[in-house]
Formats: sequence, C-alpha cells, structure tokens
Amino acid sequence: MEGLIENANTYEKQAKKGLPIWVWNIISLGVFALIWFVIVDLIKIYKPFQIPPLFGENSITQEIDFGFFKAAPEGGALLNALINSLKRIAVGFSAAIAIGFVVGMVLSTSSILRGIIGAWLTGIQSVPSIAFVPLALIWFGLNEKAVLFVVILEGFIPVALAISSSIINVSPTLRTAGRTLGASGLALYLKVLLPASLPNLTSALRTAWSFAWRALIGAELLASSGGLGKMLETGRNTSNIAMVMTTILMIGFLGIVMDTAMRAWETTIRRNYGLEVNS
Amino acid sequence: MPHLDSSFTPFTQFRAIIKLEMQKNHHWIKKHHWIRFFPLSGGVALLLWLASSSYSQGQSTQIPAAKMVVRLGFLPNVTHGAALVGLERGFFNKALANLNSASNPAVTVVPREFAVGTALTEAFAAGEIDMAYVGPGPAINGSSRGMPLVVLAGASNAGAVLMARKGSGILSYKDLAGRRVAVPAVGNTQEITLRKLLWDNQLKTQAEGGDVLLTALPPAEITTAFSVDQLDAALVPEPWGALLEQQGATVIGSEKTIWRGGDYPTTLLIVHQDFLNQYPDLVRAMLRGHVEAVQFIQNNPAKARTSIGKEILSITKKKISDPILKRALERTQISYDYNLVALKEYAEINKKLGYARVDVDFNQMLQPSFLRDVLANR
Repeated sequence: MEGLIENANTYEKQAKKGLPIWVWNIISLGVFALIWFVIVDLIKIYKPFQIPPLFGENSITQEIDFGFFKAAPEGGALLNALINSLKRIAVGFSAAIAIGFVVGMVLSTSSILRGIIGAWLTGIQSVPSIAFVPLALIWFGLNEKAVLFVVILEGFIPVALAISSSIINVSPTLRTAGRTLGASGLALYLKVLLPASLPNLTSALRTAWSFAWRALIGAELLASSGGLGKMLETGRNTSNIAMVMTTILMIGFLGIVMDTAMRAWETTIRRNYGLEVNS
Repeated sequence: MPHLDSSFTPFTQFRAIIKLEMQKNHHWIKKHHWIRFFPLSGGVALLLWLASSSYSQGQSTQIPAAKMVVRLGFLPNVTHGAALVGLERGFFNKALANLNSASNPAVTVVPREFAVGTALTEAFAAGEIDMAYVGPGPAINGSSRGMPLVVLAGASNAGAVLMARKGSGILSYKDLAGRRVAVPAVGNTQEITLRKLLWDNQLKTQAEGGDVLLTALPPAEITTAFSVDQLDAALVPEPWGALLEQQGATVIGSEKTIWRGGDYPTTLLIVHQDFLNQYPDLVRAMLRGHVEAVQFIQNNPAKARTSIGKEILSITKKKISDPILKRALERTQISYDYNLVALKEYAEINKKLGYARVDVDFNQMLQPSFLRDVLANR
C-alpha cells in the first residue's frame, strides 16, 4: 500500500514536469478533428447527409457561421436556442436546488421519513427523465412549464438526497458545539449543519446539474419550444445532419464548461474547509 | 503510512497499479515496446474497418438479386392517394408483371408506410427505400445535402388547408397574431407554406421575434390539441383538414387561397439515384403504375375513395367516412404534373428559412424524361 502511494506520487510529479493536461486536451481535440477532416473532407467516404464535413458546403463550420453570425430567419437559430436553453436551465436548476434544500432538510429530521420518501425519490430518479415528458405535456400543455417540470423533477432529487445524507453525517462535535453556543431549530440547520455539509454538497450539485441538463435537452426534443433539444429535432426534420452534429457539440461543450466551473468551485470549498492539501 | 492528499484518487491508484505491473515486467515491455501501440493500432484498425464497410455498402446493390423487390415508401394521406390506389388496386404490381414476362425474376412492390415524412426521409437516406412519395420540402432538403434522390413525377397538388379551432375567434390570416399555430413537422411542405403565408401578412413567428407561436405536431395529435384548446390553428394536409372540419373547426385558408391559387406541388414521386442507375426498367414500370393510378383517381373518384379509405384503415386502423374522403379529395388535385416555378419558389423560401444552406441543383434533382417516356409509350 505504501509503495503504491509513493509510486502514485512520483507518477504525479513526473506528469507535472511535462505539459499541463489542458494542452493534451487541445492536442487530442486537434487529432480528432484531423482524422475527421481526412476521412470526411478529403477522402469523402461519407456523404454530407451521413457525416458532415468540417469545412465547405453543408459543413459544421457553415452551421456555426449561420447559427451564430447570420440574422434570422435564415440564421441565428443556434444562438437563440443556446440562450433559451441556458435561461431554462438557470430557472429550472435554481428551482431544483431550492426545492431540494427544503426536501433534504425535512428528510434529515427523521430516519423514518428518509426510509419512506428516500425510496420514492430513488425510484423516480432511476426513471429516465424523457419518460416523464409525455406526462408533463398532458399535465401542463405544450409550453415552458412542461419542460421546467421535467428539469426540476430530475434536478431536485440528487440535491435532496445529498442534503439529507450529508446533514446526518455532520460531525456530532459540530452539532453539540452549535447547540452549546445557543443555535437551535432552523438556526442550527442554517448556521451550523448546512455550512458544515457544504463540501459534501458541492459534488451533489454537480451531479444534479448534469441530471438537469440532460433532462432539459430531452424535454426540449419533445416539447415544442426553441432550445438546443429542439435544434436536434429541426436538424433531423430537415435532413440537416450538420445542424444535429453542431448542436451535439454545443451541448457537450457547455457540459464541459459547466462541469469545470463547478469542479473549480468544489476544489475551492474543499480547500477552504481544509479537506485538500495541495494544488 | 504517508499522508493522503488529493492526488490520491482511484484514478491515480489505478495508474500506480499499472505502473507497478509494468515495472514487474519491465524487461519484457522494454524488449517488446511496440506492445504499447496496441490500443492505438486497434483504434485505427476499427476506424479503417468502419470506413471501408460503409464505403462498400454505398457501392453494393441495394436489393437482393434472387428475389427482386421495389421498396416503396409513402404516408397514409389523401395527398399520397396515387400510392394508396396503386397499391390497393395493384397498378404497380401489374406494371412490374408486364416487365416480368420479358425478364426472369419476379419483381414485386414492398409497401413501406410511415407516420410522418421525417421517418420516411431517414429511411430513404439510410438506403432502406428505393422509391418514395414525399413532399417537396423534404425532397429539396435532402437533395441540397447530397442525398441521391431524383424526382420522377408529381403525385398531388394543393390538398392542404389552414384550419382554426372552433371558438378560437380566428376569421382571417391577420387573426393569427399572438396565436398558437401547428404544422405536421418542422421543415415540411406545410410549414414552408405557412411561413410564406405569415410573411405575406406581416406576421412573424416567435423565433423571428414576432408573436405567432409555431409548433410542430403530428396531424393525429392536432385533433386532440384542438379539443383541449391547446392549439388555435393548424395547416394540415388532407384528409386531416376535412377531419378537423367535421369536428367543428373552420377553414380560414382553403387549398387555393393559402398559396399560388392552389397550383403548388404537395407530393412528389422520388427514386434513389443508385436504384435508377441500376434498374431503369423497373423504375419505368413503377412510373407506369403511378400514372395509371393517377388516371384511375381522376376518372373514377368514387372507386378511388374506396381504395384510399381501405388503405388508410388498414395502416392507421382509423376509419374515415366517405363524405370526408370526398371533401379531402376535392381539395387535392391528384396529378403526375407539378409546377416547376412553384417548386423553385419552395426551394427559395426553404433556404430563406435556414432549412437548406445551399441551392438545389434542379438539373440533377429533376429528371422528367422518364415520365415523358412513359406517357409517350402508353
């Protein structure tokens, strides 16, 4: 075991001497693009309606150009969809966090509640979000509410479960110290238990975000309002595989950006709490 | 035990184990250092295999030689009436049988019905269909993206109406402002027509910064959406317009008033370029069947309605009464001719809407010579 850890440490040190990892990320992206370019653009094995080329007619770059830099109705759709989706995820995710906090705090008060409601939540969580879309469409109609319902439903569960479990796992010393200093009831939760469980919550929030993001794209695919999910459907309907591919790239790119940001936040918090030593 | 820090994640542990293992077999690895390229070479091999297999797929014949079939794609709509009548009354198989006497293998039609045009176009792109009845919208979109399709003939003109829900208060096009309007699918023929109609009436969709909320709904769901007040108006192909009318909806745009006085193609007969190159005789025979079906509908509307009703019933399990079919067929002009100017205008609007990025090569897409041949040699 000790040998292993020493080995891991030396390996880390060796890695640090070389290029930083983000440079490798960019290089790997470049290699991928190059393979794509050679196979699709140069050798032309695939037709534009099968795999779109990177440059020229019906290409990814043309789609980006139209989607972001041209005016409506001809272009601008991708930018518009992006803004719509981000707005929705902002509203949906905030609501999911708020609901998740309340539900999680209630659950943390009683082990019986945790047992009963927790099982329900786990059950709902294991149903793919897209399965709720038809229900949402019938309950709320073809509108924003249906999409938000699915996003919130998918986003609040990881938050609620994480809050209830991390509040229970707060060190009894902190709980006793808080009580001794006069905190009780809601104040004990808000001033002692929640801040103490924050490091555990950050990773749950990250999970919740990725759940909510996927739920959003899935719901947008079926519910009829402008958004990245809808772009996939439009691309499909108009045989525009370049649009589908560009939208997929956008969704993935946004996922990476959000994940990196939240990871950085998580690291900061963990370091502030003295849970991380180096870096 | 040394202190645990953040660098000690399961991943670093995994790497450490691998490194240990590699040290254990250090000499072996050093001697056979090429072994490290195994995963990479595997990936390259996989890519090459994928590339070569898809390449050869594009080259190979698309139908088994032993038992020849023509796979025909269509939708169970009145606007696809020629397909429905041609199949139900056996015009296609008869035309193919005449050909069979000359050549040995028996060729038959395999009907491939779809609920919406999108799925049909996808199947066509994947090479699962040889010939198909599609709207000009999907045909233009596909062709502009290099889909190997050729338009042989028209199948129907007009046949789409703009319906308003009972109690919606919509009386004219202008009243569509701020309302929820549906078309069967994004980028389909009806959407293009509706967008043109909105532009002509100084209306804009929400996506363009206006106030008309345009939604895409399969026609069968439009009926439901009307009944629960989720939708105010819809531009639909027949028989859906007549069905909505029977349920109390009103016609605000007839098949003639919505665009070009009704002189616009709604359905075209297309063929896969590879299939056309390989089996031009089969394509001519199918085209003969198509022309006969069209003429049958023109000359025997009552019998044609029975055939259309039967086919729709067997595919959708939905019975459509004869008066509704009659009304639907009156609004649809079944014809093998199509207006080229209207088709080009479609392509223009389509590009303006951002559905196609490049112009369509009409010289390549339209090949009217086959239809001329068939009509001349009857």
